[in-house]
Amino acid sequence: MNKKQSLFSRIMNPKYIMVYATVIIFLIIYAYGAIRYGSIGFTTLRTFVNFFSDNAYYGISAVGMTMVLITGGIDLSVASVASLTGMIIAYGYERMGISPVITMLVSILIGIGLGTLMGAAIHYLNVPPFITTLTGNFLARGICSLISRESISINHPLIDSLAGFKITLYHLVDGEWVKIKPITNINLTVIIFIVMIVLGTLLLQHTRFGRNVYAIGGSESSAKLMGLPVGKTKVAVYAINGFCSALAGIAYVLVVKSGWNMALQGGELEVISSAVIGGTLLTGGVGYMVGTMFGVLLKSVIPAIINFNGTLSSWWGKIATGALLLLFIVIQQLVVSYTGKKKAG
Amino acid sequence: MPENILEMRGIEIQFPGVKALDKVDFFLRAGEVHALLGENGAGKSTLIKCLTGVNHKDAGTILFDGKEITPTSPQNAIDMGISTVFQEINLCPNLTVAENIFVGRKEFKRKIINAKAKELMKRFHLDIDVTRPLSNYSTAVQQMVSIARAVNIDSKILILDEPTSSLDENEVQLLFNVMRDLKAEGMGIIFITHFLDQIYAISDRMTILRNGHLVGTYNIDEINKLQLVTLMVGKDMENIFDMHPADVDPDAPQMLNADHLGAPGAVSDISLTMKKGELVGFAGLLGSGRTETAEMIFGANRPTSGKLSLKGKQVDVKKPFDAIMAGVAFCPEDRKRDGIVGDLSIRENIMLAVQAKRGFLHPLSRAEQNELADKYIKALSIATPDAEKKIGELSGGNQQKVILARWMATQPDLLILDEPTRGIDVGAKAEIQRLMLEMCKDGVSVIFISSELEEVIRCSNRIVIMRDGKKAGELEGPFDGDTQSRILQIIAEGGDAQ
Repeated sequence: MNKKQSLFSRIMNPKYIMVYATVIIFLIIYAYGAIRYGSIGFTTLRTFVNFFSDNAYYGISAVGMTMVLITGGIDLSVASVASLTGMIIAYGYERMGISPVITMLVSILIGIGLGTLMGAAIHYLNVPPFITTLTGNFLARGICSLISRESISINHPLIDSLAGFKITLYHLVDGEWVKIKPITNINLTVIIFIVMIVLGTLLLQHTRFGRNVYAIGGSESSAKLMGLPVGKTKVAVYAINGFCSALAGIAYVLVVKSGWNMALQGGELEVISSAVIGGTLLTGGVGYMVGTMFGVLLKSVIPAIINFNGTLSSWWGKIATGALLLLFIVIQQLVVSYTGKKKAG
Repeated sequence: MPENILEMRGIEIQFPGVKALDKVDFFLRAGEVHALLGENGAGKSTLIKCLTGVNHKDAGTILFDGKEITPTSPQNAIDMGISTVFQEINLCPNLTVAENIFVGRKEFKRKIINAKAKELMKRFHLDIDVTRPLSNYSTAVQQMVSIARAVNIDSKILILDEPTSSLDENEVQLLFNVMRDLKAEGMGIIFITHFLDQIYAISDRMTILRNGHLVGTYNIDEINKLQLVTLMVGKDMENIFDMHPADVDPDAPQMLNADHLGAPGAVSDISLTMKKGELVGFAGLLGSGRTETAEMIFGANRPTSGKLSLKGKQVDVKKPFDAIMAGVAFCPEDRKRDGIVGDLSIRENIMLAVQAKRGFLHPLSRAEQNELADKYIKALSIATPDAEKKIGELSGGNQQKVILARWMATQPDLLILDEPTRGIDVGAKAEIQRLMLEMCKDGVSVIFISSELEEVIRCSNRIVIMRDGKKAGELEGPFDGDTQSRILQIIAEGGDAQ
């Protein structure tokens, strides 16, 4: 009895409200799709897995972005860093003959290095995150164009095999394992996405580092007075985000198998909005990886409905996403002002 | 002779152009509550900051447990066993209660910290869900949590810097109980407060500072309140305690008439009549509906039932602007949050309400603004070199005076002051009280909300006692020695007094 109650009150903890809102809206939209287009394949497992794979690279980047946003910061450089990664891999192999294994490692190091630099500038030089990472954005994009102004396609067996890697899902029918129809494959980018969400959750929820991240977002000055390592934590968060950007870049390469200096333009806003739709507060202190994951899924399910409809312009997807973002920011404000009021009374 | 756990000798700290501390000695024993007293700017904070490693001393020695120490940062001080709870709550509102207590400590697992935090809160007689975010709880609970965090470290010295300024009477008693427990365990507690009663209720000894100099250290029974204040202020302040509200002319016109006002979830059934030039004090616990009633009259919280008339005319106050136009001014409780605009100058802060009342199409000329600002700086003796200083750089008492000036400048007929004397020193407090009484003499009606019964009784013509969102009683002055216990009784038991 008592245990049941405590479980109930744990689930009802107000800190999860935003995540619930995201999940519920996802379920509503999914249910709508299931009712309207269930007969033409909306409810199949394949469609569902596609929600993950459509935006997996954004999802991988959103893991790092969520942490940055929780500290109360922002990172506008992620898409450019991802694009730079693609550029390095493509140019490295196609023009210089360097194995993608090396260029992948190098670009991940560059991602971490850029993140560390930006984090250090933000914390130690007190440059606002917006400006610092905007500079990082221009810098990375500029280097992309410096490397090459044209799209370079990659033809390397490793990239091909990584891109082609897939786990086909089976299910049990009459005691026999058969492939699910329609054939449902989980590719490498989806696996990376899900692994990153899990790792991100572990890091945020079950380590001291994660708790410090939340504390900094709640009140940086308090965190300092509590004796938490604010500087190190912030720099580490931007470094992790740099790592995620580079990893997202690799995932993107696996999808398009090319590098292009103009790839993923505006992608940072897709990533930020996924996190925000997932319940991460732009003011910092609140956010969960699971929410972010659903934020990414929401950004796949809306275009999917438009695709299934077949007659709507794909721009409706953008409009719906915009409306959703607005809705979420309004809900966040309501939640924040509600809890604020309660405190005052 | 009990042992000194802390000996600070000959401490000197030099700030640019001013000697903040000059050869100050301070000794703290294990197992005592030692009050550190002085007006704003006397050097209390500087001394504490020196002990906690925020400011660095230019001369003198600190012996802690017999060993000389030089704290380099707050964290360094905490590591040595000196922890501090500040007036402002330095916790993270988004973390849970348990996380706030234990973040940065060796205990980490949720299960463990939740259990430990629950235990700890029980010691504070608080039965709350420690897995909820801190922002779900009142300021008082948050203050308790920050104290819990501080005492949870194995500290030998606990510094409480104005911990009670946001607590009500019951909560203060709770805190005192905890302080007594800690004292019995041998902790040395440095207690800074502006509430004289509390000093006498809990402290064993006191050290008084004035203008960066040590006045002396006394046992609590050595000097009485009046002597204490005189020592703090440095001049005879007998007249502080000799302040009386002016009599209200029985034929004075009615200023305000509230008839069964109520708003769901806040207060219900408030009836109140006020005459011109009358000062009505609102007493009651934190959250009893004092502020909510004031907000209703000011239009910040719209009443859903009842009638409100101002100067004999029934009014429908929908928003604060309507109230301002009707001659009502409201000085809110939390001056940091709702009152001052820290980055604006004193002049600009004073102008805000006047300008709002005139509408922005009729701006005040710079000359008019200067004149108005200078007038109030002088009238309220706001300590500043000129009107262009940022208000954020003033002391709490002076900030409060600027806010008062802001509303006085609108020449209101009814002025509502919500906790105008909270967290400011005795001298400034007396000045603000005197200003209130003078305004009443000039025909302004004042509603004065305060948690300090003593000052409510001293200043009011009439006292309204609030309890659980209702008016629990009303007492007519002049008041005598029994009034306080009478009010406490109504607060505790409710009931219809008169």
